[in-house]
Amino acid sequence: MAGHSSVLEDDSLLSRLDRRLLKFEQFLALLSGIAVFMLMVLAVISVGGRNLFNAPLPGYVDWIEQAMPLLAFMGIAYVQRDGTHIRMDILIGQLRGRALWLAELVSVVLILFLMIALVWGSWSHFQRSFDFGSPLWSRDSSIDIGLPIWPAKLLAPVAFSVLCLRLLIQIWGYGRAFVLGLKNPVAVPLIQDTATQAAAEAEQLDGRN
Amino acid sequence: MDSITIGLWVTAGMLVLVVIGMRVAFAAGIAGLVGLILIFWSKKGFDPEDFGWALTVAIKTAGQVPHSKVSSQALSLIPTFILIGYLAYYAGLTKALFEAAKRWIAWVPGGLAVSTVFATAGFAAVSGASVATAAVFARIAIPEMLAVGYNKQFAAGVVAAGGTLASLIPPSAILVIYAIIVEQDVGKLLLAGFIPGAFSAVIYALLIVGIAVIFKNVGPPVTGFTWKERLVSLPPALPIVFVVVIIIFFVYNPFGDAWGTPTEGGALGAFVVFLMALFRGMRLSELKSALLETAKLTVMIFTIIWGVLIYVRFLGFADLPGVFADWISALPYPPMLILVCILLAYAVLGMFMDAIGMLLLTLPVVYPAVMALNGGEAVTAAESTFGMSGTMCAIWFGILVVKMAEFCLITPPIGLNCFVVAGVRPDLSVQDVFRGVMPFFVADAVTIALLVAFPGIVLYLPSLVG
Amino acid sequence: ATEWNASVWGKRRAFTEHVEKLAELVSEKTGGEFTINVSYGGLSKPKENLDGISIGAFEMAQFCAGYHRDKNRAITVLELPFLGVNNLDEEVAVSHAVYAHPAVQKEMEQWNARLLMTSPMPQYNLVGTGDPRDTLAEMDGMRVRATGGLGKAFEAVGGVPTSVPATEAYNAMESGVVDTVAFAQHAHLSFGTINRADWWTANLNPGTVNCPVVVNTDAYDALSDKERMALDESVEEAIAHYLANYGALLEKWDGVLAEKGVEKVMISDEVLAEFRAKAADPIRAAWIADMSAQGIPAQELYDLVMSTLDKQRMSN
Ligand code: NA
Ligand code: NA
Repeated sequence: MAGHSSVLEDDSLLSRLDRRLLKFEQFLALLSGIAVFMLMVLAVISVGGRNLFNAPLPGYVDWIEQAMPLLAFMGIAYVQRDGTHIRMDILIGQLRGRALWLAELVSVVLILFLMIALVWGSWSHFQRSFDFGSPLWSRDSSIDIGLPIWPAKLLAPVAFSVLCLRLLIQIWGYGRAFVLGLKNPVAVPLIQDTATQAAAEAEQLDGRN
Repeated sequence: MDSITIGLWVTAGMLVLVVIGMRVAFAAGIAGLVGLILIFWSKKGFDPEDFGWALTVAIKTAGQVPHSKVSSQALSLIPTFILIGYLAYYAGLTKALFEAAKRWIAWVPGGLAVSTVFATAGFAAVSGASVATAAVFARIAIPEMLAVGYNKQFAAGVVAAGGTLASLIPPSAILVIYAIIVEQDVGKLLLAGFIPGAFSAVIYALLIVGIAVIFKNVGPPVTGFTWKERLVSLPPALPIVFVVVIIIFFVYNPFGDAWGTPTEGGALGAFVVFLMALFRGMRLSELKSALLETAKLTVMIFTIIWGVLIYVRFLGFADLPGVFADWISALPYPPMLILVCILLAYAVLGMFMDAIGMLLLTLPVVYPAVMALNGGEAVTAAESTFGMSGTMCAIWFGILVVKMAEFCLITPPIGLNCFVVAGVRPDLSVQDVFRGVMPFFVADAVTIALLVAFPGIVLYLPSLVG
Repeated sequence: ATEWNASVWGKRRAFTEHVEKLAELVSEKTGGEFTINVSYGGLSKPKENLDGISIGAFEMAQFCAGYHRDKNRAITVLELPFLGVNNLDEEVAVSHAVYAHPAVQKEMEQWNARLLMTSPMPQYNLVGTGDPRDTLAEMDGMRVRATGGLGKAFEAVGGVPTSVPATEAYNAMESGVVDTVAFAQHAHLSFGTINRADWWTANLNPGTVNCPVVVNTDAYDALSDKERMALDESVEEAIAHYLANYGALLEKWDGVLAEKGVEKVMISDEVLAEFRAKAADPIRAAWIADMSAQGIPAQELYDLVMSTLDKQRMSN
C-alpha cells in the first residue's frame, strides 16, 4: 500500500543527506513510472501496427522484457525511504523509544547485508552477460531479435546500490535515535498508527471525483 | 542436516522475521539466501573450508533471481492494471458509475448499498487493486448513504466488502501473480474470475436486500428518479463499458475471433482510459503523480515478488514442495476435506498477512499438493479426484485462493480494506467498519462454499476457450 | 556417494526423456553411488541454465541455443534455416559432430560447461489457418510466429515474424495476431495450436532449435573414474531411448492430423528451391560473414554439418 511520507526533516547533516538522496530516488522512481507508461504505448503501437499496416512491432516481447527491470527496480530505494515496503507491524508497533529504534536498527542492518550480497550477485549476473570483446559488448541476447541483455541486467545492481545508500542513512538515523534516546528522529520513516496511515493514503487519491 | 530439515528451519526463521516486523520482501530474501548457503554447504558436508564456496555460489544464485524473474512479459500486466485504476479515477469514471447505478437501482430496499456494490463491481472491471477501490468508494458512496439515513457502520461495511470485488473481476493483479507462480494461462484465469466476481456481487446484493427488509432502519430505498434522469446518467458511465468490452474481447470473443492477446487488451484498456482522462482535462502534474504512485505500488509488488522468489528458488534446491505434495496426497483423509482445510488455513493466515505475500509464500508448496490431490497436472477429468482436468483444477483452485485472499481484506485484526475505509472517514473507527462488514463474512462463506460445491461457476467460461 | 542436480524445465515429456533415462542408467551402473536428481524448473529459468552451470549451482542442465544466441554463437550453426536435416537421427549426428569441434568446446568453456549430448528436435513445420500457404506468393504478408533465424527466413520471403510467447500462441492464432505458427510437433500438441489449424506443412522443414545437455566441468572432473565411465557410457543408450520415444510420438502424428481434420500440405520441390535461394543462402552467407568477423570458424562449422549429413546418409 502506498504510504504517505512520514519522515521528519531538519537542517542537520543527516537530514540534508537524506533529502539529497531523496531527490535522486524520486528521479529514479519517476523513470519507473514513465516505463509503465511506455509499456502501454508499446502495446498500442504493436496492436495498431499489426492491424492497420500488417507491420507488428518486431521483437515486441523482447522489448517488454527489457523494460521490466526498469519499472520493477528503479524505485526500490524511494519506497524504502518512507517505509512503504509491506510488513507486519503488529508487534513492532507496540514498541516505544529505544526498544523500537533497536528493533528497527537490527532489521535495517540485516536488510543491508542482504542487499550487499545481492549487489554482488546481480553484478556477477550482469558480468556474465557482458563481454568487451563482442559486438555490442554482448554475451547474452534476447530470444527473438537478439537485443543485448546486459543493460537490463545492469539495472539491478545499480538500483540495489542506491538502496544500500538509503539503508546506510537509515542505520545512521536509527542508531542515532537509539544512542541518544530520541523521540522523533529525522531521516527515518516513523510508524504511524494504522488509521493515520490509511487517512494519508486516502488523501493521495483526493484529487477530484 | 538434510535438505528437508534445512527447509523447515529456514522457513521457521523467515516467519519469525516477518512476525517481528521485517519487511516481507527482505525477510523472504534473507531466508532464501541463508537457505541457499546452507544447502550448498551441506553438499560439502559442512566442511569449514568449503564455506566460502557455498557462500559465493549462493550469492550468485540469489543474485540472478531479481532480473531473471522480473523480466517476464506476463508480469507486465501488473503495472498496467495498477495504472488503469489511477487513470480511471482521474477520468471521473468512478463517480459516473456510482451515479448511474444509483439512479437505476436505488429503489430496491437497501438500494444505495446495492448500487454501491454494483458500482464497485463495475469499477473492478477496470481496476486491479482492491484497496484502491475501497478508498475511492468510501469517499463517493458513504456520504450519500449517510445522507438518506443509512446506518453508519453498515454503509462502511458495504464499501469495504464491495472493494474486494476488484481482485476477482478482471483485470486483477493478484490473479496474474497466481498465474505466474503456477505457470498457467493468464487469459483463462482472468476469464475465470468474471462469473465468480459477478456472483459474489449478486450474493452481496441479496444479503443487503435481506438485511434492509428485516431491519427497516438500516437502509431505506431511494426513489423518485425519472426515466430521463436515468437515461442521462448512462453516457458518462459508458466509457467503462467500452473499456470492459475491449479487455473481454481481447481475452475471449463470444462471437468469433478474439481481438488480440490478454496482455495487449490490458494495455489498450489503460490507453483508452488515459485518453478519457486527458479529455477530461487531466493536468501534467496529475499524470506525474499517477505515474509516481503507480511506480511505488509496482516497485513494492515486484520487490515482494523477487524477494519471495529467492526463497522459492531455495525451496527448489531443498525439494520441499515435492515432499510436501507427497505427504498431502498420502494423508488418509477425503481429498475434499483436505482442500477445505487448506482453504481454512488461508483464512487464518490471511488474518495476519497481506494477500500477495501470502500467495507467493504458500503457493509454491501448496499448489503442487493440491494438484497431486486431484491426480497430477496431466490428469484427465474422468480420472481426477475433483472431476476436472489438471488445467481446470489449477484455475478453480486459483479462483478459490484469490477469493480467500479477498476475504482476508475484510477480516480482523488486519483487514486492509476496513482500515482504508476508516481512514477516509474520520467519523468512523476501525471497529465501526469491522462491525459493519461482519454480515459480509456470511456472504463470502456462502460464495466460497458454492464455488467449492459447483466448480462449474468458475470453469464455465474458461472451458469455452479451447 | 555423488549427488547431482540436473536443471531442465516444463514437465516431464519427450524432450526430457534422455535426461531421465541417463539418471536411471547412471544410478544402475554405479549401484546407486552416483545419482542425478532431475528438477523441472525448480533450480533455474531455462534461459539462465548456462549461468547456473557457470556458477556451479547445479551440475547438469539443458538449454536451447536459440534462447540466447550471444551466449553460444558457435552452436547456432545448427539453427540455420534449411540445413536439410530430415530426421532425428541426422539431427543427432550433426549436433554431436558440431559439439566435438574445438571452437564450440572453447566457447562452452567460458561457461565452465562441457557438452554431453543433444536433445534432437524435429523440424519446425508450420501450422496455419485458412488456405494453405504453399507458394512464396502465398507467404508474402503472412504473419508467422517464428523466432530468431527462422523468423528471418520467413521475413526473407515477405512473411511478417510476430513475437508472441509460446503460451500465448494459441490465443494469437485464434485472434488472427498470427496466421501461422512454427513449432515442433510435440509443441503444436501441448500449446494447442494444432486444434486451431487447418493445415500443416509436412515437408517445408525450415529448420529447428538446438538444445544441448551440458555438465559443469569441475563436477565432471571430480567424478571418480567409475562414475565418469558410467556417465559417458550411458549417453548413447539415453539418446537411443529418446529417439524411440519421440519416434512413437511422431508415428501418432498422422493420426492426430486426421482426427483434427488438418490437411497435410506437401510443398513442391520448385517452391522449396526458390525458398532456399531467397532465404537460406543469404542468411547463411550473412551468418558466416558475421561469425567469422568474431573469430569463429564459421565456414568450417557449416562444412562440418554438411559433410556429417553426407556421411550419415551414406551409412544408412
Ligand atoms: Na479488477
Ligand atoms: Na484480515
